Amino acid sequence: MVRTRRILTGAAVFCATVLCAGAARAEETVSITEAGFSPNRLGMPTNAFGSATIGSTTGPVPSPIRHVNVYGPAGVTLDLQGTGVCTEALLQQKGTRGCPANSRAGFGGGQGIYQIGKELVEEKYTLDFFLSDNRPGHTKLLIFLSGSSPVLVEIVLTGTVINGPKPYGLGFSVDVPPIKVLPEASNASAKTAFLTLGAHNVAYYRKVHGKRRLLHVRGIVLPKSCPRTGWPVASQFTFEDGSTVMAKRTIGCPRK
Amino acid sequence: MSAGRSGAARTACSLLALASCWTAVPGAFAQAPTAAIRAAFRPDAPAARTAFTFAFTLKDPEAGVPAALRTMVVHLPAGLGFDLGGVASCGLARVQGSGPAGCPARSLVGRGHALLEVHAGSQSIPEEAVLSVLRAPDRGGHPALAIFGQGETPLQQRTISTAMVLADRAPYGAELKVSIPPIPTVVYEPDASILSFSLTIGGPGAHGPGAIRVPRHCPAGGFPFAAQFTFADQSRAAATAHVPCPHRG
Repeated sequence: MVRTRRILTGAAVFCATVLCAGAARAEETVSITEAGFSPNRLGMPTNAFGSATIGSTTGPVPSPIRHVNVYGPAGVTLDLQGTGVCTEALLQQKGTRGCPANSRAGFGGGQGIYQIGKELVEEKYTLDFFLSDNRPGHTKLLIFLSGSSPVLVEIVLTGTVINGPKPYGLGFSVDVPPIKVLPEASNASAKTAFLTLGAHNVAYYRKVHGKRRLLHVRGIVLPKSCPRTGWPVASQFTFEDGSTVMAKRTIGCPRK
Repeated sequence: MSAGRSGAARTACSLLALASCWTAVPGAFAQAPTAAIRAAFRPDAPAARTAFTFAFTLKDPEAGVPAALRTMVVHLPAGLGFDLGGVASCGLARVQGSGPAGCPARSLVGRGHALLEVHAGSQSIPEEAVLSVLRAPDRGGHPALAIFGQGETPLQQRTISTAMVLADRAPYGAELKVSIPPIPTVVYEPDASILSFSLTIGGPGAHGPGAIRVPRHCPAGGFPFAAQFTFADQSRAAATAHVPCPHRG
């Protein structure tokens, strides 16, 4: 009887161990290494910037990104008067040169990584952000992701400007399809990413009543007040392995 | 040691010395940025009051867009006359705050334009700038100039480069030492780079303050000009040019 109990207990422990091992999966880590506004002045147009590192607790290659939400602080507004728009078809056919200059929304990039056999290959990538819809409340983005060495990669992603959950405000949401640089490569992952959106001094020439006029684009406008603890910002990454990670940071209030 | 062995040893030593030279000069074969300059006098009669134009273009054979320019030294021919009598000066703080419009009209000594470019994301984005040259307060007893640059699109940006006129060694008579500040774009992207630049100082005729005069004597081979450029990444470029001597008769 005792021997049977021991066998059954051993079997139960073995099964529990196997089940736990099967349930244990890679965990990604995301850290916002920098975030800020330049200039950092209440109520003024600004250049919003941020950078992040992405890692894995189980190996050198984090799981590929499938979705990103970036949240700015509450009270940030978008004034896109004077901007133009680009289309996905134009961007696909002609690359960034196909988009009007006044549809540019920002830039970015980082370091990608993928596996070919047992070899890990890192590749630098760049991001070019364009407006595809500049109507208030309907604002949409096109993001041209490109890499050139060792493999040419060019992909167009689409993004939507969203309202984030409290305590956040406006942000944007991007779906990322699987990126296979070569048929034999793993889907590409990102180790680092940075972006820089808007600027305080953007201006374009436009014909107004037959006359060429220089029009200023306000773009991203900072709130008129700042909470004592600073402005909260966050980014939420969803990975191919099903995990979701939210990284948070606070941007200090402008100095008086 | 036999003759055959000593010959082989000498060859081996030569090869070793050559290899040492090769490794001792890292980046010897990395391509540096290149520069070309152009100068002109209109009119070009000896001693005539003239409009002096100086222009340059910069290229990077590898990157396409050169790094941001930090300093430029322009060597001017001996005898080139700089007469700043009657030219008012405009303080740098005023130039910075109000631009040329805030300066006395008599402080404006020249105009020009520049083409800049910035590499952001995957794009190379051009921007044109209008240049105004104003007399600034002398520095250490040397005449000084402020080169005000105004770009409008895609980024509305202004910069002030400062220049000093100093004595130079033969065959040159004066050098213009120019300091160019960083021209920022957006965070994480590089400062703007200058691709081409053209400036005209002075003008013909007896009117207006200040004057540039063509040298009385033109050396064989023409008026010599030279320039050295230093970039933000510590790379350098140099160029020379000659303006042909005026035709006689």
